[in-house]
Amino acid sequence: MANPSAVCNGHLHHHHQKQNNLLKSGIYKKNGITKGTKKNGISNGTLYKKTFIEHFEQAPMYVAVLTFLGFGVGTIFGYLRDFMRAWGLEKRNIAAEREQQKDFVPLYQDFENFYTRNLYMRIRDNWNRPICSVPGPQFDLMERVTDDYNWTFRFTGRTIKNVINMGSYNYLGFAETDVNALKTVTIELQKYGTGVCSTRQEMGTLDKHVELEKLVAKFLGVEDAMVFGMGFATNSMNIPALVGKGCLILSDELNHTSLILGARLSRATIRIFKHNNMQSLEKLLRDAIIYGQPRSRRAWRKIIILVEGIYSMEGSIVRLPEIVSLKKKYKAYLYLDEAHSIGAVGATGRGVVEYFGMNPDDVDVLMGTFTKSFGAAGGYIAGKKDLVDFLRTHSHSAVYATSMCPPVAEQIIRAMKCLMGLDGTTQGLQRVRQLGKNTRYFRRRLHEMGFIIYGNDDSPVVPLLLYMPGKIGAFARRMLEKNIGVVVVGFPATPITESRARFCVSAAHTREMLDTVLNALDELGDFLHLKYSRYSKSSHPELYEETRLELED
Amino acid sequence: MNVGVAHSEVNPNTRVMNSRGMWLTYALGVCMLHIVLLSIPFFSVPVAWTLTNVIHNLGMYVFLHAVKGTPFETPDQGKARLLTHWEQLDYGVQFTSSRKFFTISPIILYFLASFYTKYDPTHFILNTASLLTVLIPKLPQLHGVRIFGINKY
Repeated sequence: MANPSAVCNGHLHHHHQKQNNLLKSGIYKKNGITKGTKKNGISNGTLYKKTFIEHFEQAPMYVAVLTFLGFGVGTIFGYLRDFMRAWGLEKRNIAAEREQQKDFVPLYQDFENFYTRNLYMRIRDNWNRPICSVPGPQFDLMERVTDDYNWTFRFTGRTIKNVINMGSYNYLGFAETDVNALKTVTIELQKYGTGVCSTRQEMGTLDKHVELEKLVAKFLGVEDAMVFGMGFATNSMNIPALVGKGCLILSDELNHTSLILGARLSRATIRIFKHNNMQSLEKLLRDAIIYGQPRSRRAWRKIIILVEGIYSMEGSIVRLPEIVSLKKKYKAYLYLDEAHSIGAVGATGRGVVEYFGMNPDDVDVLMGTFTKSFGAAGGYIAGKKDLVDFLRTHSHSAVYATSMCPPVAEQIIRAMKCLMGLDGTTQGLQRVRQLGKNTRYFRRRLHEMGFIIYGNDDSPVVPLLLYMPGKIGAFARRMLEKNIGVVVVGFPATPITESRARFCVSAAHTREMLDTVLNALDELGDFLHLKYSRYSKSSHPELYEETRLELED
Repeated sequence: MNVGVAHSEVNPNTRVMNSRGMWLTYALGVCMLHIVLLSIPFFSVPVAWTLTNVIHNLGMYVFLHAVKGTPFETPDQGKARLLTHWEQLDYGVQFTSSRKFFTISPIILYFLASFYTKYDPTHFILNTASLLTVLIPKLPQLHGVRIFGINKY
């Protein structure tokens, strides 16, 4: 690109028009927070081949006020209970120091535990629920009760059967126990056993790994790939191998902990750009190139952009075409973490690169995990052969971590072959299509009901906003009573006013299961007053079009 | 808390006062406090205003300038453990809009209290002393300063 123009929102134009175009496209910023709905049409057809619609609707102001009041009341009662516990008016249930250590300098600051003690403990029964079956579209939960308000739990011995699973990352439904499907895995288990007992560089590279790596490279359309035993460790062990001191990492605001840990371990400089915001990223890139390193003003050794395919807390999809054009213009590297998007988006399940119709060569490092869509464990890094050969020798994981175990590798091989159609059936393609249909149906129905849903219309991660701290516990418990298992998240994992329930749609969910969940949500939404959306679309717009009805007589 | 956190914000406490609706909630809270005090039949209007001012400043002092650290564990290895909430706001950057708002609001309350107490000497001394306890810790020069080692650890 020879002319000095900026890329923003898929429109290629000059700087002085940038502000104008932002207002026209309905996006405006206040305090750095984007308000209203973000829409991106295909006016510049070269970058986005289909419409990119993401919603981040804000609730009315009274909801935010009530949320803060909820936290305030919780805090005041927390102080009251702490006071009562300190003066012996209430039993202390949490771990205490021994008598001999009473005069020592304390190891922990008790205020740091305030939130856990007083707010999290009250609704603790909604997390860490033990399951006792495969986490398919339905699962069995062990029933547990508490006698002392969630400080301790007791298993009654009963199991709650066939709870609909809306929390597992089982996007393509490969978490299954069908004996025929797992035949090859059982054979490999009997042939290789379960343990590898070695690292990749010593004795741990098996023919299964070589076969799997070739298959992954073929699946993604790149030259070579390397697989690792743990998905989190793929990020945290390989980013330090790729960047070091004197390099610059530009990482998205909402990146996963594994990416942040890898970036911090690498000792490179980290700068954070606003979530999915290309203006912010471009500004950082320009500042980095113009001003160089902080004091010496030397050029950065490497600039790498860390983004994810689908962000699991927001359900938003990365703006890949714009990032790739930015990276080409400013000559930076791109590291794409497709943990949630591989297998889940794209016409044949090949991730965001296929979803946007782009060339996989444009992304320098393609990373992903097999834990989500493939029903296995582990991660991969794929790209050019030079890159992968470098990682084979320099990655911490290759030198020190045990390699992936063969039955898991075989599970990934069979899942990937199914996806690619190499097993002779169209089952893989059907799963991807079913996931797409389920996602669109689920999101459309939730929008129509009037809930506030975040994220892209095509992402199978659906965060439903709850806002108030009291509703987090109420929502999760009532959904369990209706035999539906959901994941809820609150502050400090999310911003203070945006607590949410996160649904993960799966290809294994049937229409009946989704309808059960949607009906339960409808009821619960009315009961808990969760339907805050002011832009809900009606499913029958023709009934509301009064002009048309009037003319028809 | 480290795993399962969905953002790279090292200390969420720094952003709480900037959140949407926080200023409005705060203003409404002060109004509620004043209405409750006004509705107690024993207190005359000047007494209610002075009490509002004093209680508000006391609450602000305790929560913003006395309590240190964060009520949850942060991945910054304890950098914020010895800092009060005021010092943590926006990671120590001075003169941001939240800081300005929370500096101006006790002053406005002071003006209102002075007016409604008709500048009576006793009320004046109480209100001024209370205002000073809340304004002086907010000065940028007193960032991280602990007088006589009070509240240091």
